[in-house]
Amino acid sequence: MENLKRIGKYTVIRGVLIVLTVSIGVYLTVIIATMGGYMDKIQDAQIKEAVGLALQGNEEIRRLPQSEYKKIYDMMVEERRKEFGLDKPWIERSLKYLRNAVTLNLGRSERIVSFSGSGEVRRILIEAIPNTLVLILTSNLILFFTALFTALYLSRHYGSPLDRVVVAFSPTSAAPAWFYGIFLILIFASLLRVLPYGGMIDPNLPPGAWAYFKSLLKHLILPVMAWFLGSIFLSTFYWRTFFLISSSEDYVEMAKAKGVPPRAIERRYVLRPTLPPVITSFSLMLIGSWTGAIIFETVFSWNGLGRLMYRAIQATDAPVIVGSTVIYAYLLGITVFLLDLLYAALDPRVKTGAGARRMA
Amino acid sequence: MKKILVAALLAVMALGGAAQVRTGAWVDEVVFFEEPTHAKGVEMVKTGAADVYTFGISAPDLIKDIVANLGYEVSYGSYNEITFNPVGPTYPDGRLNPFSVAKVREAMNWLIDRDFIIKEYYGGVAGIARWFPITPSFPDYAKLADVARALELQYSYNFDKAKAVITEEMKKLGAELVGGKWKYKGADVIVKCLIRPEDERKQIGDYVADQLEKIGFTAVRDYKRAAEASPIWLTGDPALGLWDIYTGGWVTTVVDRDQADNWAFFYTKLGRPEPLWQAYVNEPEAYQLWERLMRNDFRTAEERLEMMAKAMEYGLKDSYRIFVTNRVSYFARSKNIAVASDLAGGVYGAWLWSRTLKFRDKVGGTVTMGNTSMLTEPWNAIAGTNWIFDMMPIRGVSDYATLPDPFTGLPWPQNVEKAEVFVEEGIPSLLTLELGKDFGGGLRGWVTQTFVPVGSIVVPDDAWADWDAKAQKFITAKERFGGPVSARSKVVTTYPKSVFDRVWHDGSKMTLGDMIIGFILSFDRAKPDSPIYDSAMDAPFKTFMAHFKGLKILKTSPEVVFEVYSDSVFLEADLTASSRAGYLWPAYSQGVAPWHTLVLGIQAEAAGKLAFSSAKARAKGVDWTNYIAGKSLEALVGYLADNLKTNYIPYAPTLGTYITAAEAGTRYKNADAFYKKYGHLWIANGPLFVDTIRPVEKVVVLRRFPGFTDPAAKWDVFAEPKIAAVKVSGPASFRAGTAQNLKVEITFKDKPYELAQLDFVKYILFDGAGNIVGTGNAEPVKDGEYVIKLTADMTRPLVGACKVEVVVASKVVGMPSFASFSFAVTR
Repeated sequence: MENLKRIGKYTVIRGVLIVLTVSIGVYLTVIIATMGGYMDKIQDAQIKEAVGLALQGNEEIRRLPQSEYKKIYDMMVEERRKEFGLDKPWIERSLKYLRNAVTLNLGRSERIVSFSGSGEVRRILIEAIPNTLVLILTSNLILFFTALFTALYLSRHYGSPLDRVVVAFSPTSAAPAWFYGIFLILIFASLLRVLPYGGMIDPNLPPGAWAYFKSLLKHLILPVMAWFLGSIFLSTFYWRTFFLISSSEDYVEMAKAKGVPPRAIERRYVLRPTLPPVITSFSLMLIGSWTGAIIFETVFSWNGLGRLMYRAIQATDAPVIVGSTVIYAYLLGITVFLLDLLYAALDPRVKTGAGARRMA
Repeated sequence: MKKILVAALLAVMALGGAAQVRTGAWVDEVVFFEEPTHAKGVEMVKTGAADVYTFGISAPDLIKDIVANLGYEVSYGSYNEITFNPVGPTYPDGRLNPFSVAKVREAMNWLIDRDFIIKEYYGGVAGIARWFPITPSFPDYAKLADVARALELQYSYNFDKAKAVITEEMKKLGAELVGGKWKYKGADVIVKCLIRPEDERKQIGDYVADQLEKIGFTAVRDYKRAAEASPIWLTGDPALGLWDIYTGGWVTTVVDRDQADNWAFFYTKLGRPEPLWQAYVNEPEAYQLWERLMRNDFRTAEERLEMMAKAMEYGLKDSYRIFVTNRVSYFARSKNIAVASDLAGGVYGAWLWSRTLKFRDKVGGTVTMGNTSMLTEPWNAIAGTNWIFDMMPIRGVSDYATLPDPFTGLPWPQNVEKAEVFVEEGIPSLLTLELGKDFGGGLRGWVTQTFVPVGSIVVPDDAWADWDAKAQKFITAKERFGGPVSARSKVVTTYPKSVFDRVWHDGSKMTLGDMIIGFILSFDRAKPDSPIYDSAMDAPFKTFMAHFKGLKILKTSPEVVFEVYSDSVFLEADLTASSRAGYLWPAYSQGVAPWHTLVLGIQAEAAGKLAFSSAKARAKGVDWTNYIAGKSLEALVGYLADNLKTNYIPYAPTLGTYITAAEAGTRYKNADAFYKKYGHLWIANGPLFVDTIRPVEKVVVLRRFPGFTDPAAKWDVFAEPKIAAVKVSGPASFRAGTAQNLKVEITFKDKPYELAQLDFVKYILFDGAGNIVGTGNAEPVKDGEYVIKLTADMTRPLVGACKVEVVVASKVVGMPSFASFSFAVTR
């Protein structure tokens, strides 16, 4: 009973802390996205520039007497200022952004619309998420599990030729995935002409789900390959080192001395204690997929969250930037929270509340 | 028997020939896809993965690649200049601003080497030098090319001259040159250069700063992107002295036929209301001239050109801005593709692209086009996307009353038989496309113009002059004005008999309902009583009503004839005619639409579910109307389902006269069938139709519309600009004081250029020292040949290595051609 109480208290405190952290993070995002209110000045200038150019392009307006021209100009500028909420003070709007964000009322964008044309931030994000998940999540999953199992293998075959290759190639991960992407496009699309340059499907695709699926798979090959090549050696090197360290713990040596079979050692004494960090890494990798990859998606003409964020930043669309950030912040907060609970379940060394303090 | 067989064979051949006459689009299908990386877009054209990349490339290396390996089109729509801060001679903080002095600004023309900039920063291919606010590829420049050329030579790079003039002026300002550095009241004279780093303006800004440092200024470089720079130079107060020079850039997306007001725009308070413009103080003579040009205060075309020639000179003397370069953008295409390209807007800006696009070696086929960014905003004809790359497919599937010439900006009739323009005497109104006049290539003029006494254009009492949104009826001129009223102009437009044979993409035939609903919408969206009132319409509507006096339909069968009364008159009758011809054509700012799809958006907006404009959508917190995808489309389809049951007629008190319930029923059924087949409601009327839209994958597929029956070859003459190739020949040397003839050969693709299509051939004569000693007109000899006749008097003062520069202006392309010929003159 006392344990439950303690867990409940811990949960509430962690929940409040997460909301608080998210709020601070979101408000910082609001301040950064709007440059602490200076963005209003920029938007004001952009509006005036756009209105001036629009009027200059209108033969019947541009030659009006100056006073009449000015009246029309002022009317249009005021209309646009209202449209973008610039008739209200920045502080008021920034607090509104915060309130909406924390309550997950993502509201409407200022400029950007979703693929289907909606101005709801929720819809803008929802329509971009599947594309990013298909690309980044697929790539990440392949990368993660390949690296993990290769690392396990290498930890058992320390010093083997493959191990040496992985170590030697690990610095290649210094180059980002999009860099490999460009080379892969040059080789497979431009030179060999066997795979597409980019995009999600063939532009003149025949109708039908199967044709769509086949085309999507074909278009995934190069980006997934680029993502994989961009990180595989370093990831494998990282996990392999991690497993090597775990394999040399005293209790593993003891198990070996006792004659426990290698498979059992790996399962019981290496994998189980390393599970929390593996799960943490896996969870954060999943969450990391949310942000997409701006340059990577651009190189492969893939319309995911990364390109959406790029457009939002370019258009200074604060609601979209804030909306995307708040979702990420919440996902991160919830993941960290769940991981805490998971740690307690997986690792007997982890305690909560007063017990934890005593252990410390 | 043999004769019968031959006759039968001939008949079959004739029929076969007739059957082969292609109508509508030359190609069967156009596939647009998004490719944001420009280098990749070009590479895709090179490897055959795409046929055209519609983004204008300005990177010199990519351009060289395109020129070496691909076909291409060229546009000249954007240009760069240096803007000077006019405040001074000192700012409130005591800092000296040398550019407050006109002579210093004028000398900046000599300080910068435009040719060097072109060679160094544009790779010699991505730009041309520019000195004036008028664009070198537009008609005004062509008409003044000889004057321009002379001034360009006068203001070409001359470092020593610049240094001398600036030194003199700086001393007058009280500055001293100490150890090669300008000092003012003991402090370095700092020039704050606000430089845009996004494009070649970074290099230009750095170059100008370097040149200023060479003559003793201390240049401080402040690199700021558009968003950060705008509050400083555009909306900020120049008196704050936050910048002294700014690297400005401007874009024109259509060929502007009348740039006479550009001096007033760039150099005077009249340009814009921002503080920078309001700080301009001009020489009274120059100001008056520029202001008159802005007001079209001249009587004849000749007078206008004389004034513009003077304006060019004044502009260089004033130089609140110095124009530096005109960017040249290249549009990559397969060599096997032909397509119209606008001299300002390029391939994506050419309204004729879908009518001229074809494979050179075959009829039909699929053209794949890469597009840098597309499907970024909702499509609705009233106030939907204005994104240039979305407007390309939208225009490609639309049919219009007139279409702009991509090379001259002149409007050509597409669905207009003729237009008669009546203008009050004293108003400058020029006429180019005179009715029946032959412009070559099958193009004939379509406009007449008559000048009438002032006050004689009386608006008929029953003309439609306004709209009563509550009663949903037109307000007549008598009701609006209370009595007889006159207008400054009247245009009588005739749509041809075939206009009602035009078919929308869902199979519905065009009717008067399509025409009149558009005219109603010009008013209804601006009326506070209307359920679709949009405050964003207030300003444009106010402007419209300030000149619009009335519209009257004179005839509706078999052809449609209507007259429009207005106080607004364009400089050219052709443009006035084109503007008025569009009043009843169902084309809106962002596309065309039939009444039966427009009504769905009207109903959705009236119910507060959607809004045509982004401004109203934001204000009301609803989605921007989208006819191609999403929840918005679902809402429109819901109204379509309702209307199918009720045969709803919009604006029934007025349109009930023109639309029957039976027509409404057929129309809604057609739209429903179209939606079920294609999954969207973008029903237009052009040579192609929208077959597939994939907004997530950013793909648009257009297909040839068999119901569009114009011959495919109708606009072929615009597939390529007829930019003249010019060659001058004559004696290599001759004695001074002897008469000489120089031969000017003018060709296009090695064939003689038709005389009828040439505007003028002028020459400028230079002596051995490079001074201009004479100008004149060459005389036509025959197609493709002119002669320059140099009289004995003209050659008498010449000595040494002399030359003539020849300027050829065409009527069918705005871009003039130049050539020169050098010869030795002996005593």
